[in-house]
Amino acid sequence: MAVANRSLSLAANSACLHSALEFVRTGALEANLPETRIGQLDLVIEEIFVNVCRYGYPDGGPGIVTFAYTVPALGELSVEIADQGTEFNPLAQGPPDLTLHLEDRPIGGLGIFLVKTLAPFITYRRDGDWNRLAFRISAGL
Amino acid sequence: MREYTIVTIQQRQESGQVVLLISGRMDAENASQFEQKCTACIADGHTALVVDLGKLGYISSMGLRTFISVAKALQEKGGTLRICGLNGLVKQVFEITGLLELFRVYESVEAALMGG
Repeated sequence: MAVANRSLSLAANSACLHSALEFVRTGALEANLPETRIGQLDLVIEEIFVNVCRYGYPDGGPGIVTFAYTVPALGELSVEIADQGTEFNPLAQGPPDLTLHLEDRPIGGLGIFLVKTLAPFITYRRDGDWNRLAFRISAGL
Repeated sequence: MREYTIVTIQQRQESGQVVLLISGRMDAENASQFEQKCTACIADGHTALVVDLGKLGYISSMGLRTFISVAKALQEKGGTLRICGLNGLVKQVFEITGLLELFRVYESVEAALMGG
């Protein structure tokens, strides 16, 4: 049985990043995740949120991002991040070429790769006009 | 709310090289501060930069972008970016993204200064 289930909607604006981190951190503390895992969780949340803010609403129109978390059991946190921006599955992006020399290495393209590495079971689905990314993070993995 | 926004950059000079000590968190909100500092150093003619990350607790891809950008700028000037003090999550992020192999990485400031 879930011991916590909360959600929060924020403007799709990077100025709201720290509110998003604080909200999900609350869930991580309720799940009793260790600080090392919370740091990785911060990273996953930031990368997804910033991605939505930058690319989800390209016309600059007002948009929202909804964060929801569940603590299915102590030591486990399930998170869903949803937006109504342009239909886009960031997980379809291929991995960056990490063997390139500095002069050939693109400056960006590492954010989603970090997400997929730190939250390997993350999923994407299109639900009506919503993009929904969901993942679970646990104390031990 | 926790203080998420702080990144501090302390600059000093040792053995003719600029050493930048980065503390706090480097994220989408503040990563540009590091790039601006490095750009100013390069504009002042300093092309051998040592960056001590021993007190940096967090870095996201927006922070990594600035490191790659600064390293490219230094390379174009014939200079070098040396990084030291990596630990914890920051070291893990550099490992995952292959940046440990891309940059000159040292255990300590002293080793970085002698790194050649």
